[in-house]
Amino acid sequence: MKKKMINFNLNGRKIAVEIEPQLTLLEMLRDRLGVKSPKCGCDRGDCGTCTVMLDGRTVRSCLVLAVEVDGLTVTTLEGIMKDDKLTPIQQAFIDNNSFQCGFCAPGMILSATELLKKNPKPNKEEIQEALSGNLCRCTGYSPIIDAILEFTKGGK
Amino acid sequence: MSELKFVGQSCVRIDGKVKVAGAAQFIDDLDFGPNLLYAEIVESPHAHALIKKIDISKAEKYPGVVKVVTGKDVPFKFGLYMHDRYVFALDRVRFVGEQVAAVIARDARTAKLAAKLVKVEYEVLPAVLDVDTALGKNPPIIHPDLGKYTHVPWFFPKADTNIAHWRKVRAGDINKGFAEADLVLEDTYTVPRYAHCAIETHGAIGLYDFSDRLTVWTASQSPHTQRHLFAEALSPLGLSHKDVRVITPFVGGGFGGKAGVSMEILAAALAMKVKGSPVKVLWSRAQEFYNTYQRQGVVAKIKLGAKKDGTITAMEQILHWDAGAYVEYGANVVNAAGLSATGPYRIPNVSIDSICVYTNLPPGGPYRGFGYSEFLFGLESHINEMSRQLGLDPVEFRRKNAIVGGDKLAYGSKMNDNGLLEAIDKVAEEIEWHKKPVSNNPKKAIGKGFALFWKAPAMPPNAASTAFLKFNEDGSLNILVSAMEIGQGYQTVMAQIAAEILTVPLNKIRVELPDTDRNPYEWQTVASHITWGCGKAVERAAIDAREQIFDLVERALGKKRDSLYLDDQKVKSHAEPEFALSFKDFVISGIGKPDGTYRGGPIVGRGMFMPEFASALSDPETSQGGKPNVHYTVGASAIILEIDKKTGKVKIPKAVLAVDVGKAINPELVKGQVTGGLLQGIATVLYEDMRFDKNGKLINANFSDYKIPTAMDIPDEVVSIIVEVPQPDGPFGARGMGEHTMIPAAPIIANAVENALGIRIKSMPITAERIALTLKAKEK
Amino acid sequence: MPITQDFEYHKPATLAAVIKLLGQYKKPAILAGGTDLIAEIKEGVTAPDALMDIKGLADLKKIEFKNGKLTIGSLVTFSQLIESKLIQSKFPVITEVAKMVASVGIRNRATMVGNICSAVPCMDSGPVLCAYDAVINVKGAKGARKIAIDKWFLGPRKTSLKKGEIVTGISIAIPDKKHAGCYVKLGRYSGEDLAQASVLILAMPNDTDRIAFGSVGPTPIRARNLEKLLNGHKLDEAIISEAKQLILKTVFPITDIRATKEYRMHMCQVMFERGIKAASNRLAGDGPPYGHNQI
Repeated sequence: MKKKMINFNLNGRKIAVEIEPQLTLLEMLRDRLGVKSPKCGCDRGDCGTCTVMLDGRTVRSCLVLAVEVDGLTVTTLEGIMKDDKLTPIQQAFIDNNSFQCGFCAPGMILSATELLKKNPKPNKEEIQEALSGNLCRCTGYSPIIDAILEFTKGGK
Repeated sequence: MSELKFVGQSCVRIDGKVKVAGAAQFIDDLDFGPNLLYAEIVESPHAHALIKKIDISKAEKYPGVVKVVTGKDVPFKFGLYMHDRYVFALDRVRFVGEQVAAVIARDARTAKLAAKLVKVEYEVLPAVLDVDTALGKNPPIIHPDLGKYTHVPWFFPKADTNIAHWRKVRAGDINKGFAEADLVLEDTYTVPRYAHCAIETHGAIGLYDFSDRLTVWTASQSPHTQRHLFAEALSPLGLSHKDVRVITPFVGGGFGGKAGVSMEILAAALAMKVKGSPVKVLWSRAQEFYNTYQRQGVVAKIKLGAKKDGTITAMEQILHWDAGAYVEYGANVVNAAGLSATGPYRIPNVSIDSICVYTNLPPGGPYRGFGYSEFLFGLESHINEMSRQLGLDPVEFRRKNAIVGGDKLAYGSKMNDNGLLEAIDKVAEEIEWHKKPVSNNPKKAIGKGFALFWKAPAMPPNAASTAFLKFNEDGSLNILVSAMEIGQGYQTVMAQIAAEILTVPLNKIRVELPDTDRNPYEWQTVASHITWGCGKAVERAAIDAREQIFDLVERALGKKRDSLYLDDQKVKSHAEPEFALSFKDFVISGIGKPDGTYRGGPIVGRGMFMPEFASALSDPETSQGGKPNVHYTVGASAIILEIDKKTGKVKIPKAVLAVDVGKAINPELVKGQVTGGLLQGIATVLYEDMRFDKNGKLINANFSDYKIPTAMDIPDEVVSIIVEVPQPDGPFGARGMGEHTMIPAAPIIANAVENALGIRIKSMPITAERIALTLKAKEK
Repeated sequence: MPITQDFEYHKPATLAAVIKLLGQYKKPAILAGGTDLIAEIKEGVTAPDALMDIKGLADLKKIEFKNGKLTIGSLVTFSQLIESKLIQSKFPVITEVAKMVASVGIRNRATMVGNICSAVPCMDSGPVLCAYDAVINVKGAKGARKIAIDKWFLGPRKTSLKKGEIVTGISIAIPDKKHAGCYVKLGRYSGEDLAQASVLILAMPNDTDRIAFGSVGPTPIRARNLEKLLNGHKLDEAIISEAKQLILKTVFPITDIRATKEYRMHMCQVMFERGIKAASNRLAGDGPPYGHNQI
């Protein structure tokens, strides 16, 4: 297999890495670069646990080849925190008991972050729509929706 | 008891931060370095076949392959309650997807490519894909050696048949009971198979090192049970329990699917064949569907008799369980359901046959509710029909027959005190049961459904929990238990229990995830028993530490022991208000004497809990004589459905669930179980279901066609009601409630559909399609 | 799950380079959003020997409206369509369709052109393009050609795109008259699902409608027989009832794991009725807002 050299921005860091064209973005992040917040839940775009941001938009990293991100900016949950401090939306998720096992949390939080960037005051329906690609089997979703609604009202 | 400071408070989860930071480590997040090997499993394409020959020569030679392992290399049986399966299928495959061989390679891609080169020759046998065939005339026998299998004493397999276990319960005089009835109603209800669908798939990494020790990292609800089963199965290779270590990081959802041992045996066995190198087995989503445990399907024949006034006089129930190819765990689901199939009702005359049937479908096993979700669909649907035909209100009918503390259970022992009546009344009030709902949209019909539920922890009588509690120099605590964090929040609950007794705030307590070398024994994180059983062990460990503290303070400082108490991380005395000794000043160092010597030393509490009153032994023909269940958790639930009469699509304006938790250690976590569990149950009745083709292959082993709910599929409102009738042997009166929130979902929906539209659908799932087509057929 | 297939990866900078490269491989595949392609490569459904990543071709990222003609470039994602003010104002039913495709993380990547190139029967883009009489713009070594949407779909996963050709975009001429539309999609629940049946209605003044169905035949179905029946008639219960009978002869659903033929047929009637009412009400200015499923 012929390898390719790619350069991209990962969570504010410049990365240059040589990879095979068969490698997915998810595999590169987890196995080559040690960025573990994106998870593999279904490997075919159905569950959303592998969500990362590509140039500011959420994508399924299991359906993106690593070579495709050459020259782009990749942001994972690790990259949205400043100085290792939780963002207010992450804090709202803690305050609202929004996660149980926590496996879906990274993808869910990135989807919520994208929503709030596009629409700072979403209503319940808009939140449900925006999160509908991120599966959670534990919570029944309402604590997640509550966290976002609470966040839009400026916190508890 | 004085005022509680921690127990009963909705403390914020202590694992919240690591999870929202995306930093919680799950099995696939652990690093093992460049020497890690990857295994790819060669699977059976047939539901039932004899293995004639396995040719591994090509795969072995493939560059990058380290080893190819087949059943002959590890010809060992394993199983939790019955030893009915091998690590790899040895001479016979019994379901599509069963493991036949493994290719171990330096990277996952090589393993996958080489696995395609393993050639297996099969002699295909007729497959048994449903219980009727399995129990019919001259069926293919799936386990010809069933009579020789070892199993727990409370199983009753029938050799030379496909019946792996038959639980019989007989009470009173069933014929007399039906004779006394004014109405006898019989019907059959069908429940298909379901999948847990934790978002994290199973994974395990095994390492057999040069000290002859096997370490297995697993995504598991059962680290100690796994250690035991690994040691037991692999003992011919020279392993003893002391040599086996199981480490479990955070688990990304369990729901029973990660209980016991399923695919983890592969990592354990393969590691033994590549000494010195860790080897990883990670399930794909498809494998997660077809080669872990599935929730068993059941066909329930129910016959119920009642008097005009609504008194139930007799119940006969025959449950045929499609338990799949191996029942080492699933047979206990059948057992538990059989013992409790009366539901939470007082019924004097009972006949229950709960029959565990082998089929050539994937192995059945535990899933949130452990048999109760399955049988309650039929039972609570039937109770509704019964009340309708008797002309009684379904809630009144239930209330009249609801079991109360002291009532005799079908198997002879006494029911524990409980808040079932309170739950019924509170749910009825919250859902405004006596108000008939009307839709202002002519396209829609509105209905309400109601159901009761109960469930006991299904566990062996000697399922134990232990806890160590270690004080540190600054007075902080590490609590070591082997309960598993699968999302329920046990770490927070255990910390709250210890905090209450030791007056140490939660930010000074860590509860460590299981490592069987470090953390003491826990049977499994199943049966909703952790808060109750492991919580009791933690309570006892905390009390043990407290007593050590009192002993020491009395011995070293001469304080009167009876006057001592703990407050704000200090020892204080009622006799001397000015006396206060901070934990940090003595819990490691001990208490110094004027002569420079010290008394005491590190405080380590130890607690253990085992329900010594339980016994699984009883008369096999009647189940009378033992005490198989420690107690029941009970409750009631109701729902409002709005149904589009043309499309059959269902909206849920409101759902209510009341559960008697004994004592809510953390009410917010209880609520989380209610919203999550109810939705999981709602999905099983509205759209989930496993589909197999005519050859026994699962055809919807993915989330595109096995639909689990999204954020758009939730009820508009979920009300969770906490009832608290204390459990005397639980910590602060608590009992379990995690599974219970899923159990009533199917019948409340079936009953609400009937209430709204006048149609009784007797098999799950009740999809929009089923509703629309049933209505359409009715119109004609 | 690692990808076991071998393929080469190219990211050409010009359309000419793409076309040249396409000629150099036996089984090349165009990579745009990749949401179908990568999943299919992983599962072995397709095995290309080379991927042409066209995301370097800036011209294909555009949504343009010139002289009454809308052009959607091959790299235009569903999210771009949803967010486009132009689409929202002039073709709101395209916004409605795009919103019902999968979920945000897929829509941020998946393209409408990719959707019609995959050409699976349950695709969302088929009916709307049929109703609008869209034209597919194709380029190859022998030059450019335009393919009418009626001639585009040949069967499940089959289109009239020839080897060596690439789709550059989709063109839609805006109807002369004011129009409104409605897309109704049947899924198994409210969340993301592949359509089990879908209907798209374009309503225009003087009781003229265009109607297309999706997921109830090997290809999307433009229901010209229904249009003929309805056009010129005031929309009343009698004509709707007649139309619903005609639907039974118009669509050819099958039974599969997602739904039975019977339910799909039934739902085509229900969805048609609700869709056409919603579309004509929208035309009259008092319909339901765009973006909500009518079932």
